[in-house]
Amino acid sequence: MLAFLRKNQVPLSSCFCVLLSIYILTAGARGQLRNEPLGAVVMWILRPLQVVSQGTVNWISGFRDNYDTLSGFKAENERLRKRVQNLEVERQKHLEAEATNHRLQQLLALRSHLSGTAITASIIANSATSWFQSCLLDKGSADGVRKGMAVVTPLGVIGQVVAVTVRTAKVLLLTDANSGIDVLVQRTRSRGIVSGSLENGTVLKYMKRSEDVQEGDRLITSGMDGVFPKGLMVGAVIKVRKQHLGLFQFVEVLPAVQSARTEEVLVVAADNGAAKN
Amino acid sequence: MRLFLLFFAVGVLLLLLQTTFLHLLPIGPVVPDLVLVLCVYLGLHHPTVGAALGSFLLGYSIDVVSSRMLGLNAFAMSLVFLAVYLSSRSIWLHHPVVSSLVVFLAALVKGAALVLAWVVFLSVDSFWMGAARYIITEALTAAVLAPLVFYLLRRGEQFTMRFRAPAQ
Repeated sequence: MLAFLRKNQVPLSSCFCVLLSIYILTAGARGQLRNEPLGAVVMWILRPLQVVSQGTVNWISGFRDNYDTLSGFKAENERLRKRVQNLEVERQKHLEAEATNHRLQQLLALRSHLSGTAITASIIANSATSWFQSCLLDKGSADGVRKGMAVVTPLGVIGQVVAVTVRTAKVLLLTDANSGIDVLVQRTRSRGIVSGSLENGTVLKYMKRSEDVQEGDRLITSGMDGVFPKGLMVGAVIKVRKQHLGLFQFVEVLPAVQSARTEEVLVVAADNGAAKN
Repeated sequence: MRLFLLFFAVGVLLLLLQTTFLHLLPIGPVVPDLVLVLCVYLGLHHPTVGAALGSFLLGYSIDVVSSRMLGLNAFAMSLVFLAVYLSSRSIWLHHPVVSSLVVFLAALVKGAALVLAWVVFLSVDSFWMGAARYIITEALTAAVLAPLVFYLLRRGEQFTMRFRAPAQ
């Protein structure tokens, strides 16, 4: 027996890992996974590294955008190249500070419109896999973030908090196939659910064929799901197709917020995040 | 111990790359699965109990950082390691094309495992065509990057093994 175990220790340990992961999946599906310390340890290791990495990525993106703008002046700036290089470094610092200030001012303005608790957080990582649309925030339970809270920006809705550790929170984006946000068509007040899709991008589901929906219609949160404050921008309709059969029409949506270009967000409590207006 | 530290550092680095820098690439929503390439490398060149547990932990780390359900990628990566280990004895490894092919097939195994887990544990509309697209594109990007990642890992191992402890 021992010889058999010793000889096949690799496949046996591998099978054990497969069975363990199936157990974790089933326990998670039944809601039995409340405190799992391994995830907290993983985040404790990764969080500081991801803050630094994401900061570097943000710097590279900002520098690339500014470089594109200045490339038209390359010939004129040739004789002043050394001075321009020094000034560019200084300008980059000031532009970044100004952009950050502008974003935070917008967040502050949004925060003043929302009643109840709102926590400012930064996105420190995006999804590691194409199958899920998610991001990580640098605030967790120690900062007051709880599972189920809405995540928004001045431009609109980002998603919902689905998992929290002490110092981080995982957000399921509205573009994920497992998400679902109750929305109203702003023009006609028709209701539907916005969700991501692996096949068709972001779609508006359960919109009956008799409902009036047109390209360009704005979708806002209805407030009926008890998660997102009412009246926040979700996206705009970019395609409407009434199929020959079926109760519902196919509506494709362009989300208002691109999470890849977002750095700061507001995390809003679900039960008291109603907009003041 | 040296190899453990090397692969631990590489695993953390690849996870960081997948969650930050790789999103700068203009390749749409696809994220090259470098962690999968590492798991295949472990299955081919270091088929040990530690490597099996390491593959599980790498998948679990992806679940913690990104996934809707814990255990999804842990299941897929463990299955990939097992499949690669079982087939590694009949594979000639010393050619970049072969390593790309192995990684491509491993990515298909991973995709199949994820589809199975999704169907059982998550209910999502409009799933099959999107899943097929993601599986194929992820498999192709991983296969393209596999020879480079394999080369860097081999160089890393050679560099690590140069620092031998002095004889007692």
